Amino acid sequence: MKYTTFSPVNNDALTEPMFFGNPVNVARYDQQKHAIFEKLIEKQISFFWRPEEVDVSKDRLDFQQLSDSEKHIFISNLKYQTLLDSVQGRSPNIAFLPIISIPELETWVETWSFFETIHSRSYTHILRNLFTDPSEIFSDIVDNQHIKKRAEDISQYYDDLIFYTQIWQTHGLGEHTIQGETYNITMRELKKKLYLCMNSVNALEAIRFYVSFACTFAFAERELMEGNSKIIRLIARDENLHLTSTQHILNLWAKGKDDPEMAEIAEECKEEAAQIFMSAVEQEKQWAHYLFERGSMIGLNQDILCQYVEFIANHRMSAIGLGQPFEVTSNPLPWMNNYLHSDNVQVAPQESEISSYLVGQIDSEVNADDFGDFDL
Amino acid sequence: MNKDRYQVLVSGKEIAIKQEPDKTLLENLEDNKVEIHSHCREGFCGTCRTRLISGEVDYIIDPLAYIDDDEILPCCCKAVSDITIEIN
Repeated sequence: MKYTTFSPVNNDALTEPMFFGNPVNVARYDQQKHAIFEKLIEKQISFFWRPEEVDVSKDRLDFQQLSDSEKHIFISNLKYQTLLDSVQGRSPNIAFLPIISIPELETWVETWSFFETIHSRSYTHILRNLFTDPSEIFSDIVDNQHIKKRAEDISQYYDDLIFYTQIWQTHGLGEHTIQGETYNITMRELKKKLYLCMNSVNALEAIRFYVSFACTFAFAERELMEGNSKIIRLIARDENLHLTSTQHILNLWAKGKDDPEMAEIAEECKEEAAQIFMSAVEQEKQWAHYLFERGSMIGLNQDILCQYVEFIANHRMSAIGLGQPFEVTSNPLPWMNNYLHSDNVQVAPQESEISSYLVGQIDSEVNADDFGDFDL
Repeated sequence: MNKDRYQVLVSGKEIAIKQEPDKTLLENLEDNKVEIHSHCREGFCGTCRTRLISGEVDYIIDPLAYIDDDEILPCCCKAVSDITIEIN
């Protein structure tokens, strides 16, 4: 079906499925089929921040003091996060927007992607502060084998869905031969690609950031690279919200609250969805191994980081009905929670050293003793 | 029914909580040294998702995170009766 930027069909968006119904025409938010996406948009907008608000100048001095193995850990994580947000800043738009059918979800995806671009901009902000010329770091993201491998795993489900959608939009359903390859395009197959892609995105938002987050916050626990840590806290807060949205989408499908065919597909592809998650866990463990191969850092090592990945994965997998496959029951890095707590996230230029700064707070308690040294 | 002290049965252990108006169930559980995982503490991340087996809770903030029909988010609700919960 050819995509149109403004469908002339006078449809009722309240009866459309989230994906693969009529394209969205009027962007109206006074009524929603799934009100949750409207609420997520509001919440995400209320989180708006700019990397320049965070003073990272002290990080440059801290960075010089780090050991070589710690520098490797710090920079590699930044490279990996740059990759993740490069993908997330564009892919939900390209893959999902052409097939979305309800306005609140369309706008949520746009809002979500926009925030990923803020994250990308903040990596540039951090790197430009640490290096006079960060080009070498950026170009290694495309050359480094360890990062490249991750890029393939992350982008393949997106690419697959985008390609099949393109064939469907230009040639319609049926069998088509393109550059010597034959593709059988059915609605079922398209929806299956969408389901797997959404699971891969969910796994990305759920666990792929957490090895880097843990390292960043471990530096901050030692009062090192605190500007960077403040930025990463803001990013972590956003990522938690993004994860909530993919969990909602997957659960709306699985519980039959949207497209009934998606409920069948969710049942049919449960194994595959679990496999996507499990291989993301495995890759994150390999990443932890790569980070620590030149030596560890105070407060963290490969084992503890791998346990943390399993711990987080248990929580995230059970949220989408995939059970808790790992044995870790208690949080191996309890201090992480202090950094992921949204109340502790506060940024304004004047408070770069005080993380508990609150705007407009007055201590209104007055005791008689306070006037003790007053003379009239 | 509107009292301020409730029994909370959590994973086989019984604890008594005093439900102050601005204290969430999560804070009450933490005060009683119950191990519970939490991130955002304002209802949008779903990390503290907990199964409510019996009893009732009231939400202080509208929860945004996905929760199943039998689940609650302790970070943004408070108990309004004796409750039995199971932490994931």
